[in-house]
Amino acid sequence: MTFVHQEVWHWQIATYLFLGGLGGATFAISAVLHLFEGCDRKMLSVAVMSSIAFLVIGTVFLLADMLQPLKAIYALTNPRSWIFWGVVFINFYFIAAIAYVIPLLEEWPMLQPIIQKIPAPILGLLERFNKLVALGGSAAGFLVAIYTGLLISAAPAINFWNTPALPLLFVISGFSTGAAFLLLLSMLSSNPGAHAISAKLEQLDAMLIVTELIILGAYFNFAMFLPTGARASAEFLFHSPVFIVGFFVTGLLVPLIIETWGIFFSGHSEGKKSGLPIILASALVLVGGYLLRIYVLKAGMFQYPW
Amino acid sequence: MARYGMVMDMRTCVGCQACMAACSTENQTPFWSEKFRTHVEDKETGTFPDVRRVQLPRLCMHCENTPCLSACPTGATHMDKNGIVLVNYDRCIGCYACCIACPYDARYAYDGEDVSRERELYGKLVSHEVPHVDKCTFCVQRLNEKLEPACVATCPTHTRIFGDLDDRKSEVHKLALSGKAQALNQGLGTAPKVFYIPS
Repeated sequence: MTFVHQEVWHWQIATYLFLGGLGGATFAISAVLHLFEGCDRKMLSVAVMSSIAFLVIGTVFLLADMLQPLKAIYALTNPRSWIFWGVVFINFYFIAAIAYVIPLLEEWPMLQPIIQKIPAPILGLLERFNKLVALGGSAAGFLVAIYTGLLISAAPAINFWNTPALPLLFVISGFSTGAAFLLLLSMLSSNPGAHAISAKLEQLDAMLIVTELIILGAYFNFAMFLPTGARASAEFLFHSPVFIVGFFVTGLLVPLIIETWGIFFSGHSEGKKSGLPIILASALVLVGGYLLRIYVLKAGMFQYPW
Repeated sequence: MARYGMVMDMRTCVGCQACMAACSTENQTPFWSEKFRTHVEDKETGTFPDVRRVQLPRLCMHCENTPCLSACPTGATHMDKNGIVLVNYDRCIGCYACCIACPYDARYAYDGEDVSRERELYGKLVSHEVPHVDKCTFCVQRLNEKLEPACVATCPTHTRIFGDLDDRKSEVHKLALSGKAQALNQGLGTAPKVFYIPS
């Protein structure tokens, strides 16, 4: 038995997986906030436009890693492949996100001339079905986020990836980074309407981090159980200081402590003056989410029978 | 219609790597980048003084249940009517999903630099005109001419036995069912069509 580090997918794909999870989750959470909580339309428009940018940049990284990116349209051929479904989900996402965000852009006076060029009946339809599109968009965002995990779990010889825990870990981590990004936006916004949902986003992110910790516990418990490639990968991660300190401590535990403190004792998401810790926590969650994907890819080891 | 497969008799392999050279010449694989469709693993086993060297020739297992085929989004990876797993170079986008899915390290990137170098070496005779993911084809072009794969024809010790696994008279059929030969990583359910007789 030989364990060999995979040398196929590197930081470019990790960036794609991170931006896919972040973009998908940002849109999904924004849409859910719109449907159930109500939220400042300006902030929502910034969030959804940012999520579209994340997905566009992520897709550029994916294409840049291919041998023949100009033939990428062929990826819509084999429905047995997760990449096929990724292309479907991402396109569904782009359509939903663009249809959703156009009516919200009317909040920005400088964009009015561009929005007014859209025929009134189409604009009317988009406005009328805005909540329905938000509902579809939340599903599209979720699918994009979970797809990033499903893509790399389809590797039978990489034990550490080939587990149902990985898509769960990536989707929860993706939603945690999405919540952190929205929290960052709401804290940095000068609009009181945007600031109103900070406390809810802080609670959501703390819950997601706790869920992520539970999944990580189950994941590593599985990985360490048998002397397979999964154990070799887990041991590699335990001996990677950047993973332990950068992701686990700084990207998960520290933000969780700051957010828990904020929820129960300080309430710093509610007042602008003491918002710095929560801004720091959000930024750390984002860095942690990126490091998680970089290191999960680095830790992937083929288990060869020779 | 056949179901082509191979049996590797590890008792006779001497690790001369003639199979790698023959394959590379026949299929223009990028030896200049040390990329090959077939390898000979040279393994040391046991603990001193009871130690042995074992040669394990390996290549694409042409699995019945192909993880690479499932992972390929473009349909570039496909199985022909004789059970040979092939890559359509023009359709391959080089996303590497097949390389990640393959449990046998049987695939590599024939990248842009390799294509340029091949052009320098082979001129008009190039067989890889565009970058793509490459793998063993059981020398399908030779099979069409009723010839054995290059590695089989070259092997001086009759380590590689090739033929139709469904042909009851063939040596490969008899060896594959002899009980001596085993497939690698059987637990994955990939049902390889390459079998090994341990040394």
